[in-house]
Amino acid sequence: MLAESFAQIRFAISLIFGVPFDAGSLERLAEALRQTRHEFGAIEPEAAELLAGPSLDEVTRRDVQLRRFRAQAVRGARETAYYGRLFAQLGLDPSRLRYEEIARIPPTPKEAVREQPDDFVRRAAQPALRTVTTGTTGLPTAICFSREEIRSYVALGAISLQAGGLVDSADVVQISTSARATLGNTCFAGACELAGALVHPAGLVSAEHTLGLLTQRRRLAGKRGQVSVLSTYPSHLGEIVELGLRQGLRPADFGLRRIFVGGELVTEGVTARARRLFGDVQIFEGYGMTETWPLAGLHCPDGHLHFEPSQALVEVLDLEAGAPAGPGQAGTIVATPFPPYRQTTILLRYDTRDVVRALPEPPACALRHRPATGVLQGKLSLSARHDEGWTFPRQVLEALEALDEVPLPARCGFWAVPGGVVVEVVTRHGDQPAARRAIERALGERGVPVCVLRLVSDRSSLTRPLPLRGDLREATFGPSVDGVSPERAAPPRDAATMDLTPDPLSGAERART
Amino acid sequence: MDVAMLLTAELAMLGHAAAAIVLGWLYFGRFALARPPIGIFSLADVGFLLGGIVVVPMLYLVLPLWLVAGLLALGALSTLQLAGEPLLPGHQALWAGVLGFGVAEIVAFLMAGPLSAPFFLVNNVLVVMVAVAIANLWAQSGMKARDAAVLGAALTIYDFVATARLALMGDLFTRVAELPFSPLVAWPAGPDGRWLGLGLGDLLLATVFPLVLRKAYGRPAGLAALALGLSAVVGVVALAHLTAISIFPVMVALGPLMVLQYICWTRLRGPERTTWQYRQADASRQHQVSLTVV
Repeated sequence: MLAESFAQIRFAISLIFGVPFDAGSLERLAEALRQTRHEFGAIEPEAAELLAGPSLDEVTRRDVQLRRFRAQAVRGARETAYYGRLFAQLGLDPSRLRYEEIARIPPTPKEAVREQPDDFVRRAAQPALRTVTTGTTGLPTAICFSREEIRSYVALGAISLQAGGLVDSADVVQISTSARATLGNTCFAGACELAGALVHPAGLVSAEHTLGLLTQRRRLAGKRGQVSVLSTYPSHLGEIVELGLRQGLRPADFGLRRIFVGGELVTEGVTARARRLFGDVQIFEGYGMTETWPLAGLHCPDGHLHFEPSQALVEVLDLEAGAPAGPGQAGTIVATPFPPYRQTTILLRYDTRDVVRALPEPPACALRHRPATGVLQGKLSLSARHDEGWTFPRQVLEALEALDEVPLPARCGFWAVPGGVVVEVVTRHGDQPAARRAIERALGERGVPVCVLRLVSDRSSLTRPLPLRGDLREATFGPSVDGVSPERAAPPRDAATMDLTPDPLSGAERART
Repeated sequence: MDVAMLLTAELAMLGHAAAAIVLGWLYFGRFALARPPIGIFSLADVGFLLGGIVVVPMLYLVLPLWLVAGLLALGALSTLQLAGEPLLPGHQALWAGVLGFGVAEIVAFLMAGPLSAPFFLVNNVLVVMVAVAIANLWAQSGMKARDAAVLGAALTIYDFVATARLALMGDLFTRVAELPFSPLVAWPAGPDGRWLGLGLGDLLLATVFPLVLRKAYGRPAGLAALALGLSAVVGVVALAHLTAISIFPVMVALGPLMVLQYICWTRLRGPERTTWQYRQADASRQHQVSLTVV
């Protein structure tokens, strides 16, 4: 108990003064939470409150954020090539920056980081991991992290998962994401391991294979009998759900308790259909990206995306002029990750190009003490600007994935034309009048000004498909991985295996495509 | 020698030891202390504790008496406050009770004198309650029987060295016995100002071990430890009486008993239970008892 008290004090010192975390102390806290749960069967809410720190009023929040921003800007100006040049050009002294002057610093564009990633790394830092984004909207962007940062992120993740009661030592965690998503995978897998769970990095294999692993029975002492926690992309989840429902699988065939989804938009349609297959599972939608890691957005039941003010300054800048977005207006998230969370790669006012709406009024939810935006609307580069305004991927995907006529994940594309947008979508049976009527109505309800609607039955017929992370598929050797065949996997209701429809593309063929 | 006074003192020692052990047992079954929300009492804490046990007596010997008394008062009253939380729902009543105890201790010390029966009586009640509180805090914070046995073994060696081979404990007892909030139960044993005492540490170990064994291996293990702990104290008092030893390292009797019990129960029952498993089993037992009554 005494060692944990010292670790809590060390953690508090980092949070209050912004000095780097001591990874060992964080790991000790994570281990203490695991032991506490093992000994007492649960973690009291007081533990989460103790680690979360106090909620800040508006004045204190601004003060804390200004001090953290200044500290990060000073380090950027002195120790990075990019911000050294920028502050010299602007003639700004970052150590005397006032809150109102933050807006004078131009947002850092994605392209600058993509082209010269090393210009953002502190000279005094000790980078140990160079991780890249998955590059779904262009060339991947590389960001460097130190070993201490990664250890701290893993430990913070373990603390968060355990304090929230989301993962425990009996859980069997399956990570079905791209192996190239190194940062997210490393942190989530490490956090689950630290929480005592069994982690299976299954990779982004075929839906048949993933489904087979989910239904497989395990016989490990102290662990649940089936995969109990799944981490994946919404599009891969959609594929699994589509296949599972087609196979006639039911909630009793699975042991899933929680699903973590992120990296893409999560629609109500996917969530509802996932519950049809898996039963009453908890589905957690997270928001995070490599460039601004470990900044994490937290969804509340009122439909807000909340951010912890001590982690980063989050601004919403409008899509046209780059000024702060007005109430209810759409804009992109511009984020500055703060110390002690970010030590190696410095990014000030990084324009994520992720579109959200500024809240029309201050939040009144349980998380109201944390700054918030509306839910993600999608990438700006995938949105369409037309005569009526903007159409964002969320509007289209929410409309389509709510309809049974559209198989999951919704494979579609849309782009602006005079008078509105063209929408193309893969349906179950191609261009059927009933499906057309339903889709037109759903898109209309979401405010999508459809000029042309193309319904096709084959994804290869799409001319401008939205990219899906679920397609970052990894090839597997046949015939068997972990006792589950990639092409023929899974269970009769009461046994470990069952026949599944073979994947139309084998692993080797998929690798070629 | 006044035999009647000596016998009274010995009975008082045994009575206080029995009170601490039995009250500790009853408290453990009925009340939940506010434990730290993160972490459990571990082997590392045993290490910290041993470090404190070695260092603190030396500090008490060199610090000014007013400071020693202040530290003892702070420790005793804050522990009392912790133990009282589940018993007294209102904070005001609890604080009034704790402060009342503090005032009673000082009044008895000032009015009746440091080696008087009234002062010993008030202080003994306080020490017994402190032993009950600390024992429950340790046991309810997840202290394992293994760790208690390790602590017992280490204290056996320490007590033997500090009490029987060095004058450390004797000097310490002589110095703190005449202070308010002294960490020992004592009673006048002769007309010449002699007294008989039992240290808080010994009382604490005798109180905590039945609790951790009850958690780890069930009520029979706990009750056996309770009986054996009391027997050890009776044995020590009897031995001291028969051989006229002026100071005896009680842990030399208690410690090996703790280790032996731990070894026996581990052999018999295997790995010890967690607090959660203990509570589940206890709830199931109480359910069965209530069904039988119905």
